[in-house]
This record gives sequence, C-alpha cells and structure tokens, in this order.
Amino acid sequence: MKTEADLLPLSPQAARAVGRLRPARKIGRQIIVILAPFVLYGLFLLYNGVNPWELYVSMVRSAFGDWFGFGETLIKATPILLTGLAAALPARAGLINVGGEGQLAIGALFATMAAVWLLDALPAAAGIPLMLVAGALGGALWAGVTALLKVAGRINETIASLLLNYVAVFLVGYFVHGPLKDPHSFNWPFSPEIARQLRLPVFDGTRLHIGFLLAIAFAVLVWLVLAKTGTGFRIRVLGGNRIAAERAGIRVSLIYAGVLLAAGALAGIAGMIEIAGIEGRLRPTTGATYGYLGFLAAWMAWNHPLRLLLTSFLLGMIAVAGNELEIGSGLPSSSVHMLMALVLFFLMGGARGRKA
Amino acid sequence: MENQGSNGVLLRTVGLTKRFGSLVANQGIDLAVKAGTIHAVLGENGAGKSTLMKMLYGVYKPDGGEIYMDGRPVTLHPPSRAREKGIGMVFQDFRLIPAMTALDNVALAAGSGWRFRRGSLRERMLEISSKYGLSVNPDVPVWQLDLGQRQRLEIVKTLMAPNVRLIIFDEPTSVLVPQEVRAFLDMLGLLRKDGFGILLITHKIDEVLACADEVSVLRAGRLTYRAERDEGWTAERLVSAMLGERTPQPVTKRDRAGKRPTEEARRSGHPSEEVPRPESRFADMPPEAVSRMEHPSEETSHPGCPSEGPGEVLRLENGAIAGDHGELVLESVHLTLRRGEITGVAGISGNGQRELAEALCGLRRLKRGTVTIGGKPVAGGPRAFLEAGVACVPEDPLRESVVPGFTILEHMALEGIPLRRRRMGIDWRHAREALEASEEARALNLAEAGRRADRLSGGNVQRMVLARALIRKPRVLIVSYPSRGLDIGTVHAIQRQLIGLAESGTAILLFSEDLDELFKLSDRLVVLFGKRLLGPYDPAETDAFRIGERMLRGETA
Amino acid sequence: MIADILTGALRSGTSVMLASQGELISERAGVINLGTEGCMLAGALGGFATTVWTGNPWLGALAGGLCGMLLSLIHACLVLDRGANQLASGLTLMFFGIGVTAFLGRSFVSEQIVGFNPVPIPVLSDIPVLGEVLFNHDPLTYLSMLLVPALWFVLFRTRIGIILRAAGEREEVLFACGVNPRLVRYAAVLAGGFLAGIGGAQLSVAYTHSWVENMTAGRGVVAVAMVIFAAWRPFRAMLGAYLFGAAQALQLTVQQQGLPISPYFLFMAPYVLTLAALLIVERRKRSSVPEGLSRVFAADADG
Repeated sequence: MKTEADLLPLSPQAARAVGRLRPARKIGRQIIVILAPFVLYGLFLLYNGVNPWELYVSMVRSAFGDWFGFGETLIKATPILLTGLAAALPARAGLINVGGEGQLAIGALFATMAAVWLLDALPAAAGIPLMLVAGALGGALWAGVTALLKVAGRINETIASLLLNYVAVFLVGYFVHGPLKDPHSFNWPFSPEIARQLRLPVFDGTRLHIGFLLAIAFAVLVWLVLAKTGTGFRIRVLGGNRIAAERAGIRVSLIYAGVLLAAGALAGIAGMIEIAGIEGRLRPTTGATYGYLGFLAAWMAWNHPLRLLLTSFLLGMIAVAGNELEIGSGLPSSSVHMLMALVLFFLMGGARGRKA
Repeated sequence: MENQGSNGVLLRTVGLTKRFGSLVANQGIDLAVKAGTIHAVLGENGAGKSTLMKMLYGVYKPDGGEIYMDGRPVTLHPPSRAREKGIGMVFQDFRLIPAMTALDNVALAAGSGWRFRRGSLRERMLEISSKYGLSVNPDVPVWQLDLGQRQRLEIVKTLMAPNVRLIIFDEPTSVLVPQEVRAFLDMLGLLRKDGFGILLITHKIDEVLACADEVSVLRAGRLTYRAERDEGWTAERLVSAMLGERTPQPVTKRDRAGKRPTEEARRSGHPSEEVPRPESRFADMPPEAVSRMEHPSEETSHPGCPSEGPGEVLRLENGAIAGDHGELVLESVHLTLRRGEITGVAGISGNGQRELAEALCGLRRLKRGTVTIGGKPVAGGPRAFLEAGVACVPEDPLRESVVPGFTILEHMALEGIPLRRRRMGIDWRHAREALEASEEARALNLAEAGRRADRLSGGNVQRMVLARALIRKPRVLIVSYPSRGLDIGTVHAIQRQLIGLAESGTAILLFSEDLDELFKLSDRLVVLFGKRLLGPYDPAETDAFRIGERMLRGETA
Repeated sequence: MIADILTGALRSGTSVMLASQGELISERAGVINLGTEGCMLAGALGGFATTVWTGNPWLGALAGGLCGMLLSLIHACLVLDRGANQLASGLTLMFFGIGVTAFLGRSFVSEQIVGFNPVPIPVLSDIPVLGEVLFNHDPLTYLSMLLVPALWFVLFRTRIGIILRAAGEREEVLFACGVNPRLVRYAAVLAGGFLAGIGGAQLSVAYTHSWVENMTAGRGVVAVAMVIFAAWRPFRAMLGAYLFGAAQALQLTVQQQGLPISPYFLFMAPYVLTLAALLIVERRKRSSVPEGLSRVFAADADG
C-alpha cells in the first residue's frame, strides 16, 4: 500500500519518523474535539457564577459513585438510547428521521390510553406487555404518517417528521386537556395516574426500572439485524447507494416504510417506559427533548447501535448534571442542552468530511 | 482581438513539465501557437493532452518549464489569469448549467462584476453567433438543448470573453457526428481567418489532416513529433508517433457469415473445418470457453432459454418512454433482441439511450407499450426484470452500482452469485467459494474478493460489474458504454467477453458512442433519432457514414 | 371577518416570510439550514433585549438580524469548511438555539416594550378592505413586502443572482468562471441567518411585544418547508408564509366566534396545512430543485 512516505523525497529514517507523528497528531485532535465543548461550557458556567470543575466532577461522581446516581444516569439514558435507535436505524437506510420526539409522545399517549381505559384491572404480567405493545403501536403509527408521506407523497422525511413533532405535542395537549384529563386534578392538565401494578419493577435503592434492560436488548437486536441478516444487508446497501439498491431489485419503498415503522415502535416504547417507569401519568411535556437527544446520540455514534450504548450513556450523564445544576445553582436544567449541542458541534467540526 | 500578423506567436511553452506524485504526466513540452493558425495536439487517451491543456488554462501549475506570451514569461494559474491573458477554453464536458438559460450562462461566464446585464449582452451574443454560424437561442434553458447546440453555446460563450485571442478546444468533435464535424471545421476556418490562435486537442487523425496548420504529437507525456503543414506529413507518420512500436491487439469482427454455415454444416454432417475461422480470435481465451463457443448448441442451456436455434428473447412492442421532466423521449419503439445476437445502438448522446436502457432494466416505467421476455410479458421494477433473466451494466457504474464501504464479494452477492441462508444470516463463506470458482471472474481478471469496491480504478469497477452480469448467465444483457474512458487492454478484454457471452446464447443490447466498436461487435444496428428507433440495419451492408447520417437526420424519405 | 383573517395572516406570517426568503437565498446557493428555527429565536431574543435596553425598535431589529447571522455562521463553518452533514448540523443548531435563548432570555420574560406598532399608511390605508389588509402594519412587515420583489429582481435579473444560483446548481462551472463558490455560499447562509433573525425580531418586537421561551414554536421549520413548497421562488414563498399566517389568524377568529373546536386542533392546523401544501406541489417541484441541493437529500432525488 502506497503511503505518503513513498512520495516524499525523504530518507527512510525521516520517513519513518513522519509516519510515527501522524497517529499522534490524530489523537491530539481527537482530544481537543472531546475537551473543547466542556471547556467552552465551563467558561459559560463561570460567567454565571457556577464552578464548572465542581459540576463536572460531581457529574462523574454521581454517575459512578453510588448505585443511586448510576441508576439516575441509566434512567435518563434509556429513552435516549431508544430514540437514538429510532434515528439510527432509518439512517442506515439513508433516511433522516427526526420524529423521535413526536413518536415518543404518541407512544406515551397510546400507552396511557391503554393503561387508563383498558388495562386497569389486569395483573402486571399481562398488563405491562400489553402496555408495551400499545406504546409501540402508537409510535409506529405516528412514524407511519411520515413513511406514508415519504413513500406516497415523496415528501422529505426530515421535514415531515419535524413538522409532525409539533402536531404530536398538540395532539397530546388535546388529550390531557380533554378526554384523558384526570378528573381529580383541579384543572391541571395531566392524565389519571396509571394503576400501581402497571408500573415497571424497580431496583432496590434506586429509581431505576427494568426498562433499561429492555432498551439494551433492543440495541443488541437492531445491531444483529443490521450486521447479520439478509434484511440488514439490504438496508445497508440502500443506505450506501440507493441507485445500486434499486438496480439490484431491492424493494426500496418497502424498506423505507419498514425501518420507519420499526423506528416509530422503538420511540413509542421509550414513551411507554417513561410513563410506566418514571412519570406514572401523561403530561403535556412528557418525554420532551428526548427525541432530539436521541438524534444527537445517534449522530455521535455514527448510527452504530452498539456505540449508541456509549453515547446515550454519556448524554444521560450530562442530562443528570442538568438536574443538579438546577438544584444547585438555579440555572434551568435545559442549559445542559447547550453543552450537548457543543459536543456535537465539535464532533462535526473535528471530522473530515467532504468540504462543500 | 488584436491582429498579431500571420506570424505572431501568441503563446509559447518551453520544457513544460507536470508531475503527480511519482507519475510524470508531461515532460519537457515545447509548443508554440501562432495567431491565425490551427495547432493540433494529437495523442491517445492518457498521453497527457488534458494535463497540458489544464496547465495552459491555469487549472494546474507547472512543475517545470516556462510559458511565454507576447514574448514575456507569464503565470497562467489560476484560470482567471489565463482568461485575463486572452486564453479561452471550450471544454469537453461543457461548463454549462442546465437549469439556467443560455443567456444566463453567458452572463455568468462572460460578464463581469455584479452589475445588471441583459440587453447589450443579448445583442453581442446574437452578433457573434451569426458571425460564425453558431446559432443558439438565448432564452432556452440549457437542459433542452442537444449536445451540438450546447457546444455551439459553449463556443459563443468563450468568444464573448473580453480579449480572447487564443482558443483551446478539448476533443470537440467527440460528441459530433460526421456531418456536424464538417460544419465545425468550417467554423474553425472562420476563426482562423479572423486571426484567432486555435489549439485543437484531439485523437482523430482525419481532423488533423483536414485542417491543422501545425501538429504536435504526445505520447506518454512527451512530445514525439512536431511539424508544420508545409513540411508535409502523413497519416502513417502521425500514427506511429502516437502509438510507438506498440501495435494494438485487434479484436476481429464477429464472423457473422461463418456462424450460419457452421450449423448447417453440422446438420448436414459436414465437418466444421470447412468454414474458415481466424485462429487469432480465440488465442487468449481458456480452452473450455473456446470449445463452448465452437459448439454452441451443446452448451448447457440458460435457465428457461429454449435451446432450439436462434429465437426471439426480448420484444419491446410499441414502447413510449418518458424522460425525467415528463416529456416524451421515445415513442413507437419496436425492438427485438434475438438469442446470441449483439444489437448495437447508435445515436447522438441525449436521444433516449439512458431512458431506453433504464426501461429495459425495469428502472423506468413505460408510458406505453409492453415488454415480453421469453414469451411472457414483464412489468414492474428491476426485480421483475432480474427474475426474467435480464442483467444490466449501467453507464456510470461508479455512481450506480458501487456501494461505499462494501467489498467486491458483497457486490457480487448483491446481484450475481445466488445467496444462501445460514441460520438467520447470509452464508458468506459459500458465496466466496462460488465467486472464486467462477471463470467469468477469472477471465476478466477480477480483483480480490475482500477489497473495497469504492477504492477500485474505473477499469476494475467496470470489470466487476461485467463479471457480475456474466456470472448470472443472463438471457438478456443491457450494456451501456462499456469502453468509456478505459485503457485499450481493458476495452479488448471486455469486448472479448461480450462476444463470448453472445456466442453462448445471451441476447445483448449494446449502447456505445464509438461507431467502430459498434461495427466491430454488432450483428445488427439500430439508431436512436427524433424520438424513434430506426433500423435494424445490417452492419455488413452499411457504413459509418450512412449510420452517421441516420444519427443526424433520421431516415431520408 | 375575512379582512381580519387576512390582516392577521399578513401580520402573523411576516416572521415566517422573512425567514423563508432568507432560507431561499441559502438554498438557492445549495445549503439547507434546518437551524433557521434557532436563528429566528436568536433574533427574537436579541431584538427584544436590545429594544428593552435602548428603547429603539430599529436597533432591536438590526440586533436581531445580527444575532441570527451569528448563529448561522456556526452552520456555515461546519458545513462549508468541515464538510458536516447539512441536516445534522442544522438540527443541532436548532437545538442549540433553543437552549441558548431559553437560558439567556430568562430575565426578559416579564419585560414589556413598546416596540413596533402598526403604522397605517396615509390615504392607502383608507381603501375599504384592501387598505386595512395591506397598509396597516408595522414597519418590518412593510419592509418584508418590499423584500420579495427586490429578491426576485436580484435573483433573476442581476449577475449576483446568477452567481448565487450557479453556486447551487453546478459549483464547478462557477469556479471555472473565477468565482469561489464557497464564498458565495458563506454569504448566502449568513444572509439567510440575518433575515431569519429579523423575522424572529418581528415576532417579539412587533407582533407579540414580549419574549417567551421557544416562542417561534416551529416557525423556522415551517419556513424551510415553505421554501420547498415554493419551488425556490420568492413570490410563492411569500404566498406559503401568508398561508401559514392565515391558519394562525384563524385560531383567534375561531376563539372569538366561540366555535366549539378544541384550540389544540387549531394549533395543529398550520403545520398540517404546511404538510398538505408540500404534498400538492410535490409533482411540480421535482424538476426545479437546484442541483447542488438535491445531493443534500442523499436518499432521494427530490425529497
């Protein structure tokens, strides 16, 4: 294999030295890419009277220091992992699905409707799986709208799913202000609480529910399908070169619809987990921003399901730090969204893409 | 445009050199272009012509040597400086924007600054186009123009630059047909009369003989011959300067006459040696393939292909095909492909070749008409056509067949080798074995299975896509421009494979812009012109000039 | 009542219209900016804050434009210099913009300003119906109405427009003509951010006279959709924006009339309408995508 050393008019020793430098330079750049957002954000925190070092240390410590903190991180990471899969799977087929936000919301809606109206009296063993199905159904249905618009209407899925996010929020708003409103709520807009047995089992000493195991299982499943099966092969071909896929007889529209529906189901399950694992009832803001965070996590993971485990954990850590920020310094917890966006900016800036 | 006098040297290069890494594209080129003359630069593909031109137009910076204009050394890099000095270039791939009108394109190139344009620009444009016989409608969007019109626009554009005196033409007649070439050369004569210096890059010797005042021949980056017209030159001298001692391996014409007597001879019991067969045809093919060709009816038949004699394999009946903008590109098309026959499609680029090929691969739905394969109608997407036994080699395999990051093996699995399931997944080991056992892959010198396809050279990509089509032993092969941009060795290998495939029973539809290739390989020729498919014609009973006429003017009443 | 709806349509649609004209410039040059939402928010906050500090809404509008432009600079750098995926970068920018403005705008939530108020044009605004609908708006709306024909003229009748369109169609050709396509794209993206910022400023300084977190509520996204709906033509983008505004204005009318429609369906209406509009024009749009832009939507030639 020809290397740069072959082309430069250097002595062999010098050429070898140059060759050794290159990986070092690459690592150096990667370190900057990872550290820079934290440094920038740290400056921002300083300006607002918060000690960034303390925050970062407590962020890591609470994530790994005790089981409770670890559990909190996993709680946040779970929906991010699922919505991340909802972004990553279609991305491997060449689609950009940003509708995780809306698909999660509708999944949560369906799960709540099922729990409150149908499954109230059922035992956990039956009720929880059915609730899961309801959530998946809701999310898949919502993604199905995007899929329909894409396949039949030829509308770009990014724009369609983005617009549908807003529609989904209003749809949930309609329900929690109307048909699904808790009669005992004194006009606060949220649903009745779901039955106790329908809540997800929790690990002792934490708030962590078994939902995170489910999420990890789905990540592994998605990876298996993509890497090992014939369908996964076809999905990846389609994502690599659409024309080549068409010429090979791959049914493009079918795959587009399939990955979008699967993605919607995953996001919908995230919605169900939010209800059954954490919130216990549906609010207008249930699951807000998890969809976008999932998209960020997927992008950071280059849409690889297993790497997504790592990036969603990282974003989960930052999200938990956001809560601490709010408690400790009064800054809104959404401030950490800036940090997350900065991380992604630097990641995109550090990568070598084709310059436009 | 100043008059330098008939002997004024506009541009001179001394020892011009350009390197790319360890590859020397141009070495020590000495060249001079005088005003009011046509200087031809002759050479094969890959001889270094386009690198030289890019240096003269400012796209590349020379690594060695000097360029002089008006007697003073100049730097022509970047292109804006070359333009300032009065150098204009008419590119082979026109620098036009299809979505904008002709006038807009001219304004972009020939205008200056940020100001308003329009009225005066349009006047100048019409003035120049009438002066040199380059008629172009300023208000038509470029995507509606055919190649000849686009070239005229490109030339008008170049002539409208502020102080252009030297014009470089890069392979201008490659998109024209014999009659249009005549008109083009006449136009060059007009430009010469007006004192422009013309640098004509070409590989067509006839053009050089017809109009050049001076010729420089490049081979492998060096100047091998230079002469002026009055010194006298011959075609043979030019050819040997272009090619050196190397003589090209001939791929002889298909022995059309020889095939029928062979079968007759066999049926009547006569030995097949009675029919003369040139030995050289089979010189470099493996023996098994040769025997398969010599005894076609004994060969294992294709899936579903009737083995009793020549018959119709594919029929397109009354087809109408629409283009990308919904406009009708072809209508009332009748086409039959016969078993074992190569049908060559000639036509000026842009007459529906792409759309026809896509329709026969299932990528483009017919607006009207039916396609029957093996007697059964086929409709639907590429899948249906693939299952009916159609294989396609697209025009631009790098863009349309290669999946980034995937290996050659994975590409072969995509369309060529049948895949086997192993538990939930794909049995890759079996696929690899099947690939390594296949002789088509070997015959085409396919690169190693584990290499990434997107890192292959153009020629290797073409080999891969062709091997993939061949492995399937298709009933029908639709192949578009297989030789485009490739070196002689690969081209001949591909042509041999196509002949071999036809001999073993596949019906082939060959799209090509090289009339020589079409005549060499085809059993029948058709021409695309004026939204129709003309023909079929027997290559033995016609010639390039008459086909060219069909390509340009259709069927004369 | 119709007059009310139409007037509201114009007033409410102006912010979207400004953003979509800006996005049109950017997309014509080949860069799609989904972060327009973030730029609008930046402009809304920046404009509002400046108006609070200086009392001068004109300065506010200018500041808003600059804030939007600053945000779009990030997108331009990432996409043009680092080769980042346009859609990913834009979405991250949107997210960033929402976060930054939510944070920095905390202290402005309860502030009040005078800002821009409708200025009826003498004589013209007295024309029955038409006068009220067209000539009784805040200065920014008037400016935006003038912007459309001006943009059309620049795009199709000047060399700047040709250069811009060339950057979005075939940048190699532009480069061969001696113009650097990257510079053109930078300018286009910044111009888009600037106009989006002014659109946001119009929302806070002229329309609502207030600042609320995430107040654009997707208008930036709608603006991007409208550019596609408009097949990249300024007058049609204007039409689309006012359509959106009409849907919004309808909400108020329905509430005022006491019709028994849940407000949430009215909230949904503008976005659903946008999707419907996209559906209708899909066929026509296919052939008018700037070539450079069509490569951004990698999976599909047209969408």
